[in-house]
Amino acid sequence: MTVFRCFMIVLGAGMTAHLTYAQAVFAPRAEAMASYGASVRDTRGFTANPSGLVGIRDWDFNAATSIATAVPGGGFVFSGFGLGKRFLDNHALALQYSPGTVLNIFEPATVTVGGVNIPADRQISYAEPLAAAYAFRASDRWSLGLQTRMRTERVNDPQYQFEIKDTAIVSIPKEFLATTWFVDPGASYRPAEDVVVSAVGRGLFRFTSGGLPAEFESYLLPTERALEVSVAYTPFPSLTLVAGGSTARNGSLGLEWLPGGNVALRGGLYGSGDEHPFVEALAAGIGWSYSFLEVDASYLHFTDQTNRRGSIPAGALASSEIEDVGMNPFTPDRATFSIKAILGRLKESLARIEGVEMFGGIYPSAYEGLAFRPVGRVHVRNISRKPIQTRASFFVERYMDQPTETQPVLIAPGEEADIPFTAVFNEQVKTIPKMMVRDGTVSVSATVAEDFDDRTQTRVLMHGKNDWDGNVLSLRYFVTPDDPEVIRYSRDILLQNKDSADSGAKELRSFSNARTIFNAFAGKLTYVADPKQSADNVQYPSETMKIRGGDCDDMTVCFASLLSSIGVSTAFVDVLPPGKPEEGHIFLLFDTGVDPKFGASIASNPKRYVVRAAKTGASTIWIPIETTVITRGFDEAWSAGAQRYFDDVEVGLGLVKGWVRIVDVY
Amino acid sequence: MRTVVMMFAAACVVVRATAGDIVVQKVTGDVSVRHGVTEVWTRIAAGDVLRPDDTMKTGRRGSAVLVTSAVQAGRKTMTLPADVIVDMSDIRDLSQEELMLKLTMEKVRASSYEWKNEDLQIPNTAATHGADGAPGTLKETDPATGILQLNGVRVLFDNGFFATCALKGLKVFRQYPTLGSSFRNRLMVAEALEQVKLRGEALSEYAALSTMEGLTQEQKSLVKARIQTLRR
Repeated sequence: MTVFRCFMIVLGAGMTAHLTYAQAVFAPRAEAMASYGASVRDTRGFTANPSGLVGIRDWDFNAATSIATAVPGGGFVFSGFGLGKRFLDNHALALQYSPGTVLNIFEPATVTVGGVNIPADRQISYAEPLAAAYAFRASDRWSLGLQTRMRTERVNDPQYQFEIKDTAIVSIPKEFLATTWFVDPGASYRPAEDVVVSAVGRGLFRFTSGGLPAEFESYLLPTERALEVSVAYTPFPSLTLVAGGSTARNGSLGLEWLPGGNVALRGGLYGSGDEHPFVEALAAGIGWSYSFLEVDASYLHFTDQTNRRGSIPAGALASSEIEDVGMNPFTPDRATFSIKAILGRLKESLARIEGVEMFGGIYPSAYEGLAFRPVGRVHVRNISRKPIQTRASFFVERYMDQPTETQPVLIAPGEEADIPFTAVFNEQVKTIPKMMVRDGTVSVSATVAEDFDDRTQTRVLMHGKNDWDGNVLSLRYFVTPDDPEVIRYSRDILLQNKDSADSGAKELRSFSNARTIFNAFAGKLTYVADPKQSADNVQYPSETMKIRGGDCDDMTVCFASLLSSIGVSTAFVDVLPPGKPEEGHIFLLFDTGVDPKFGASIASNPKRYVVRAAKTGASTIWIPIETTVITRGFDEAWSAGAQRYFDDVEVGLGLVKGWVRIVDVY
Repeated sequence: MRTVVMMFAAACVVVRATAGDIVVQKVTGDVSVRHGVTEVWTRIAAGDVLRPDDTMKTGRRGSAVLVTSAVQAGRKTMTLPADVIVDMSDIRDLSQEELMLKLTMEKVRASSYEWKNEDLQIPNTAATHGADGAPGTLKETDPATGILQLNGVRVLFDNGFFATCALKGLKVFRQYPTLGSSFRNRLMVAEALEQVKLRGEALSEYAALSTMEGLTQEQKSLVKARIQTLRR
């Protein structure tokens, strides 16, 4: 069979070309604001400036549909969807699938063979179905981005052959495809809190596969590089003004106004140096957000409707004018709708932790006081554009039941503040045998939401339960009058000496009970003078009684606990002679409850006691006790304590000079 | 000859005594000392060296001459007449600042650290003292002791130790309120305060004096004149 094939050239190209398109950039916000590069903050229209993706909070998803309102018979078209993710705090990735970014041009044609008209329409399709981008926040002011866009240029041209044998005409559609990947780097710079400048190199690099035959090369779209610059200025928190321009001789202006109620109103103006009039298009839009959802709508209207209604005269198609598949001389008026959802973390971070400082280690003995005194502070910066109320919380796992939270601190936009935090430890903290390091979590929250705006780990030095910071104010936390062992011990001693205790004057009951307990206590204990090893270590009373010994701190604490357990008030006398820290010493005062006018009943020498006011305001007689001589009994300890008190306080004037302090235990 | 030897011995002891020590130069009659915080009075003799924590007492016919080395007063002798009690720690000069601090402390009478507001306030379950039942048989301190101490305060005044005179005087008045109701005693303390140039404190004392009952016209005029002088 001989086959003669003859390819026929299409004759009589159509009078009018027909266009179908989706073309929306499926971001009503972007479309309505016209100049969008500096306003990109999520996956909506991120191709305008990939570096804006650093504004993504966590997962970000949006989808859009559009309708070409000026085209007869046009319906809704699925424009596409975008998905983005922020990771490692300063990085973001996004992917866009946009099957609706398409411009199809049908050139009708007819071939007449033997008086038979055979349709031979030619179709030219332009599409940008894919884009992917990566963004990196380099600093507070700089962010960088890089994206790639895929563009396809397709020509579908039906061609014919005659089969001589069968005298048949066979249509053989021929399709030619060129695929180009463009690479667009972008950057955003924030010179001030209310200004953002962005720049994108459009088509800076490109990689092409496939191609069109020479006869169709005129259909190829231009690939000139362009630089797009955009500026966003926010004079008020509720108003953003934007402006932009491109080396491709076009520019735009826009604004976004937030009147309240989670509503955003937008408007924009597109201009082109190649168009007449200069103002090419006007846009308006509205957005509304609630929780993790945001819906947007926009309407784009072109001032010149020529070639924008779905058909163009023959010869009007000039591909060189189509610089953007989504926005070109053939783009019709359109309405676009989108919905955006923030997945994962819903809240936008308003505050950032700049640093954490711990005020020292945690002394379990004084853990109750740490609920009221700050253990550290967190340095927080307001990274939002609004004043924020910021709270800090602190948590150490295992040793705290729940995080502590501070009172809110007001921080102005861009400002920083120190927020001191406290800690409420549980009883577990008193089981720490020796010094250790634990992780503490410091969080800051700038809204009423429970989510964290920022969170960090800090090292917390947890001291052992017997460690002491050397401050006499903290020593009182070692006094445990409620310890069952202490109560049992003091009660047992008094019970054993009940007869002698009952024989004295009732006003002297506290004095005689203290004497009795001390003497019993003294008979079982040994003073250990080892200040080097025990300077920062204090035994709890139960431990002192168990091991039957201790240094002056241990003895003082133990005796104070025993006296407190029977209702006798005590106070520490902290002596730190100036220039002689090695002679620092602590001894005890206890309250006899005796009126000073009966001082002679206690001692004929008033130097043996101290008249001081109790917290009740009444002056009573207090007895100084030097526990380092405990083994010599009460009277010796009393004499030594009185002598020391007189020397340091009365002669040395230590109290008025500040090197002697008296601290009430309870 | 015996007196010369005693004087020589005392002089030698003075040379050996350290700064702040007080040397007994001469003793007549019943004079005793109570060392430190002990409760026993022992007889004293010329040449004895007293420490700042000692207390001297002279009997009805006793007297003593002391050699002191008070810093500001300079080395000098001091005579203790009969019927006085003097703490050796009071034979010294206090700076005006020290005196003010001591006075403030005596006024508040609570020489204790006050908890700051931000500190933890633990309820004081041990604050109630157990004086249950009827009062016992406690004896009040002998008022005669107060008189002896007040006499010692006057010795301090007469020897120029105005700061310690004021402090001890106020202390005695608190412990023995009847002694504080004497115009003469109160005037002494007010004058001591005036001498150490604590105008405000002296003025307060004079103002308090002017409100005392039973003052003679002459006493009123005196106090009024002092107040006017201080207010200038």
